[in-house]
Amino acid sequence: MSIVGGLEVFELDQGIADQLTEVSLNSSVQVRCGNSNSFMVTASTLIPLLQMFEMKGVYISASRGAAEVIQAFESVGIDVSQIQFIDLVSSGILGGTNIPYNNVHFVDSPIMLESILLRTLYILQTNQSERNFVFVDSVNALAIYNDDRMLAEYLHTFINTFRQQDVLSVILNVPDQTPPLVLSNLDLYCTDLVDRGQVVIH
Amino acid sequence: MQPAGMYSRDRCVTGVHGLDEILRGGIPYGSTVLAAGTCGSGKTTLGMEFLVRGANAGEACAHFTATEPSVKLLENIRQFAFFDMKMVDTGLINVFDMDVLYSWLGLEKSTFDLDDVHSLIKSIVDIVNTIGVTRLVIDSVTTLCYKIKSEQLIRDFLFTLGKKLATLGCTTILIAEITSATENAHWSSFGVEEAICDGIIVLGDIERMGHLLRFLQVVKMRGTSHSRAKHAIELTPLGVMLTPMLKWGAISDNVNRWGS
Amino acid sequence: MAKEIQFEAEDEEFFGKVGSFGVPKFDNEMRGGVPRGFTMIAFTDTGSGSELFAKQFVSPAEEAENTIYISTNEGQAEIVRIFQKYDWPLDINVRTIGEEYNSNVLEKELLASRYRLEGFRLEDIQRLAQTRFVDENNQDYLTEVTNEVMALGPYFRAVVDSLDFFLQRDDPARVVAMVRMLQAHAQMYRGLLFLTVSTDGLSPSIKQELASIADMVLSFQVRTIGTDFETSMMVSKFRNAPENLKILVFRVTPEEGITPETVERIA
Ligand SMILES: Nc1ncnc2c1ncn2[C@@H]1O[C@H](COP(=O)(O)OP(=O)(O)OP(=O)(O)O)[C@@H](O)[C@H]1O
Ligand SMILES: [Mg+2]
Repeated sequence: MSIVGGLEVFELDQGIADQLTEVSLNSSVQVRCGNSNSFMVTASTLIPLLQMFEMKGVYISASRGAAEVIQAFESVGIDVSQIQFIDLVSSGILGGTNIPYNNVHFVDSPIMLESILLRTLYILQTNQSERNFVFVDSVNALAIYNDDRMLAEYLHTFINTFRQQDVLSVILNVPDQTPPLVLSNLDLYCTDLVDRGQVVIH
Repeated sequence: MQPAGMYSRDRCVTGVHGLDEILRGGIPYGSTVLAAGTCGSGKTTLGMEFLVRGANAGEACAHFTATEPSVKLLENIRQFAFFDMKMVDTGLINVFDMDVLYSWLGLEKSTFDLDDVHSLIKSIVDIVNTIGVTRLVIDSVTTLCYKIKSEQLIRDFLFTLGKKLATLGCTTILIAEITSATENAHWSSFGVEEAICDGIIVLGDIERMGHLLRFLQVVKMRGTSHSRAKHAIELTPLGVMLTPMLKWGAISDNVNRWGS
Repeated sequence: MAKEIQFEAEDEEFFGKVGSFGVPKFDNEMRGGVPRGFTMIAFTDTGSGSELFAKQFVSPAEEAENTIYISTNEGQAEIVRIFQKYDWPLDINVRTIGEEYNSNVLEKELLASRYRLEGFRLEDIQRLAQTRFVDENNQDYLTEVTNEVMALGPYFRAVVDSLDFFLQRDDPARVVAMVRMLQAHAQMYRGLLFLTVSTDGLSPSIKQELASIADMVLSFQVRTIGTDFETSMMVSKFRNAPENLKILVFRVTPEEGITPETVERIA
C-alpha cells in the first residue's frame, strides 16, 4: 500500500500491519525506529489501527506540538477524527495552545507524567469505544525532561494500567536516544516489539 | 472503580474514583473526616463529588458552605457528568449558606460563645436528623472555627458534633484550609481538628521542576487500613481521578539526568 | 429642575404667603408665620421641647392627607396620646420609623430564639435550603422617607423628627443629599418642611452643611437657672428676614403647648 500525500509519495511498511494482527488489546507494543523513519513507522502503525481494526485512541505527543502532528498526518491522508491528542509541548510556548483543533488536550509539561496518565484515562472513559489504543510519541522525548528512574517507574505503571483495562499501548522509541535504564525496563514491560530501529533500505 | 458490592457494609463508599481503593472500601460509616488542603487544591470539588455520588446512590446529602456562595457552588456542581439538577429539586442534595444559617440563629457576630456553639451544633444535627442526611460536608470548618476563640471550645464543638453525627450514622467531611501540605505541616489550623477527627485526607500541590501537581494523601482513617501514599489527582467532569504519585517523582531536585 | 408648577389662584389665596408654625405667639414674632417653601432645621438639646414643637408644627394641617409626621423615636400610641391631649387633628399621616425598625429586629430575634430553643422543623429546613442570601435587615429607611416626602403635593407640611436615626445608620453624606432633595422639593411645591437633629455627637461640618441648606435654623436649648429649667429657641437664620433673628424663652402649658414668654433680640 502506498499513500499519496501533498508532496511526497512514500511506501507504508506493510510488515507492521501484519505484525499488529498478532497482538491483542491487552498487549503493549514497543515500536523502535530511527530518527529518519519515525514518521513512516508511526503512520504505518496508526493506519492499520484506525482502518483495519477500527480503533479509537489517544495520541500522546511529547516530541512535537499536536497541531504539527495532525497536519503531518492529514498531509498523507490519515483521518485523525478518531484520535484525541494530548499535547505536552505547546503549553510551554506562549500562544502555543491557540490552535484550531478540538481533539487536542494540553498538559502543562512532559514532567507531569501522572497528569498525562490521568488525562488519558479520562479521555478513554469519555470515548464511546470498546477498542482503544494509546500511542506514546515518544519515550526518548519524555526522557529529555524526566529522570530515568522516574520514567522507568512511570512506564511500568502506564503499561500495566492500560493492560488491565484492555487498552492497547503502543510506545514509540528511538533506542539510541533513550537512557539504558529506561530502555531495559521498556524491553521488560512490553509484550511485543516492532523493531524498525535501522532504516530498512528496500 | 470497583463495584460497590465488593466492600463490606460498614463503609460509606465514597464513589470517588480511586479513593475507595485507597481506603480499602470506603470511609467507615459515621466517621468525621478532615479534608485539609491548601487553596485551590480541590477540597470543595472533592466534597461536592462525595455528595453527588451519594445522591446518585439515593442518599440524602447536605453541604454547608461558608467559603463560597451556594449559588456559585450549584453552578460549579453542574460540571459533573453524573450530576442531575433533580438531585437538588427532590431534596437529595441540600446546600445551605452558613451566612443564612447564622442570620437565622441570630449568630451574626464575630465571636461565638458556648451557647452559640451549642445552638449551631443543635441546628446542624437537627437538619441531619430531620431529613435523614447520611453525607455531610462543612466547607469550611476553618472559617467556622475562626469565630470560636478558645481552643477548648473548638475541641468541644468538633467532638460533640462528631459524636452526634456518628450516632445518626452520618459520614462527614470537614474541609480545612491549611497553608502548607508538605512533610512537617499541621493538617489543621487550630491544631485540635486533626486529633479529634476520625480521618484526615490531605490535599495539596507538590512542585516538580516548577510545575505544580495536585496530590491527595490519606494520612489517617480510624477503623480501616489504607494506603498512606501520595496520589496525583486531576479534577475532571468525571470527578476527581487518582493515580499513585511516582515514587521518584517527589524528588524534584537532585535529578539524575541521563547524558549529562 | 426646569419643571414649572402651576399654582391655582384660589389655592394661593387659601394658603397665603406664609403658614402658621402652629404656635400663634411664635407666628406673631416671625411676622405672621413661615414663608411657604421653607425648609427648617432645628438643632436640639435633649429635653428642650423640640419634639412637642415638631408635633405642634404639623397641627395646622391645612390638608391632613398632605401632611406627614415622621418620628424616629416615638411610637404611634405615644404620638396619638399627645395629639389627643392638645386636640390636634388625628387624621394626618404618621410614620414611626423607630418603632418599625425595632419590631423588625425584635421579630428576627424572636424567631432566632425559637430556632435555638425548639430547633428547625422540616418546613424551616426546606426554606433554609432554598434561601441563598441573608435577608439584609437594613431596610433603606432613608430612601423610603425621602420618597414619602417627595410624593407629597403642593403646600405640603412635613416633619422628620429626627435625622439622628439616619445619621447613625447611613453615610452622613447620603443624609445631607437627602436633605438637599427635600429642600428643593419643598421650595418647588411651596411646602413646609421641618427637620430636627440633636446636637449630641453632631459633627460640626454636618451641622454647617445642614444649616446652609436650610432657609431657617432654630436651636432648642435647655439651661438650668437655680433649681429651675429654662427652655428657649434661638432663630439664628431666617432667609430674607434678618429681623426675625431672636431668642424666645418658652414654657410648656397644658392649654397651648409651646408658649413663648420672653423675647430677646440677637444683637
Ligand atoms: N472540572 C475541572 N477541570 C479542571 N479544573 C478544575 C475542575 N474543577 C475545578 N477545577 C480547578 O480546581 C481549582 C479549585 O478547586 P476547588 O474549588 O475544589 O479548590 P479548593 O481547595 O476548594 O479551593 P479554595 O481554597 O479556593 O476553597 C480551580 O483552580 C479550578 O480551576
Ligand atoms: Mg473551596
